Amino acid sequence: MTRAQQTLSIGLLVASVYMVAFLGLAPLPAKIQDDIIPVLPIWAIVSFGAYLLFKLGYGVATFNDVPEAHQELMREIQEARADLQKKGVEVD
Amino acid sequence: MATKDKYSVLLPTYNERRNLPIITWLLERTFTANNLDWELIIIDDGSPDGTQDIAKQLITAYNTKSQQRIVLKPRAGKLGLGTAYVHGLQFAKGNFVIIMDADFSHHPKFLPKMIALQKEGNYDIVTGTRYAGDGGVYGWDLKRKLVSRGANLFADTVLRPGVSDLTGSFRLYKKDVLQKVITSTESKGYSFQMEMMVRAKAMGFKVAEVPISFVDRVYGDSKLGGEEIAEYLKGVLNLWMKV
Repeated sequence: MTRAQQTLSIGLLVASVYMVAFLGLAPLPAKIQDDIIPVLPIWAIVSFGAYLLFKLGYGVATFNDVPEAHQELMREIQEARADLQKKGVEVD
Repeated sequence: MATKDKYSVLLPTYNERRNLPIITWLLERTFTANNLDWELIIIDDGSPDGTQDIAKQLITAYNTKSQQRIVLKPRAGKLGLGTAYVHGLQFAKGNFVIIMDADFSHHPKFLPKMIALQKEGNYDIVTGTRYAGDGGVYGWDLKRKLVSRGANLFADTVLRPGVSDLTGSFRLYKKDVLQKVITSTESKGYSFQMEMMVRAKAMGFKVAEVPISFVDRVYGDSKLGGEEIAEYLKGVLNLWMKV
């Protein structure tokens, strides 16, 4: 099963369950049927979008910077060049 | 230890004249310091800048009669990353294969950590990640970080691969695992590394991650244009449908 098939199957399942609720085919308390069910899809989409945006912002904010790694690398390059030149390897 | 482990590093190169000697030096130092059996297979795609001459100098400097540490297996021209690995894999004598970039973005100092982790859990693949733990980057401005995280989030949401860094190409594989995965991979370019990981996970292989620091562009520029981004998005969707 591909990811696409998996996603679409789950999507279809969720849609069917929702349709049952939306069309009033299942007995639900009036408050849920009238106030919640109709807006559930848009609520779900907006919440999902907000969640993704939060993940993105958090990811960028916590993206580690490693200046020490850069400095260490510069030092190693110097060391390497000296050693390699001794061994007869051209280093530009 | 019952069997002796040997680590074959596959290094595809194109115009890496400046980076090649340094990366070789770093690899040699790391493997020797950790008492690991290793070899380096350089797959050069006919570089016009003399990369192969440097490779030959390195061979003279590092190889001994008993230990042919460095091997040069060139190709006639730019034939693509995937086929470079397939080509190099034929000559790999080790039971483990390491793939990495030649431009220091993948620092050999992380190899002992990857190797130790692999042994701990007998993982099929150990991959470096820039996004988790104390992994990180150097010199990236906000735009680059945003694009990178955004791209990763997109791939993560669409593919739900279970690895934090999907486009990373600093990986340690068991040789037979790499062979199996690479023969089933079809993408080219950017998507290639992603497809390998997604397919590997789909095949049920055990994957572990090691945070790495990614210090790139020591020599040279980066270009991340709109076209590359479009290619990437197409690649992710393609994988969504295929795997």
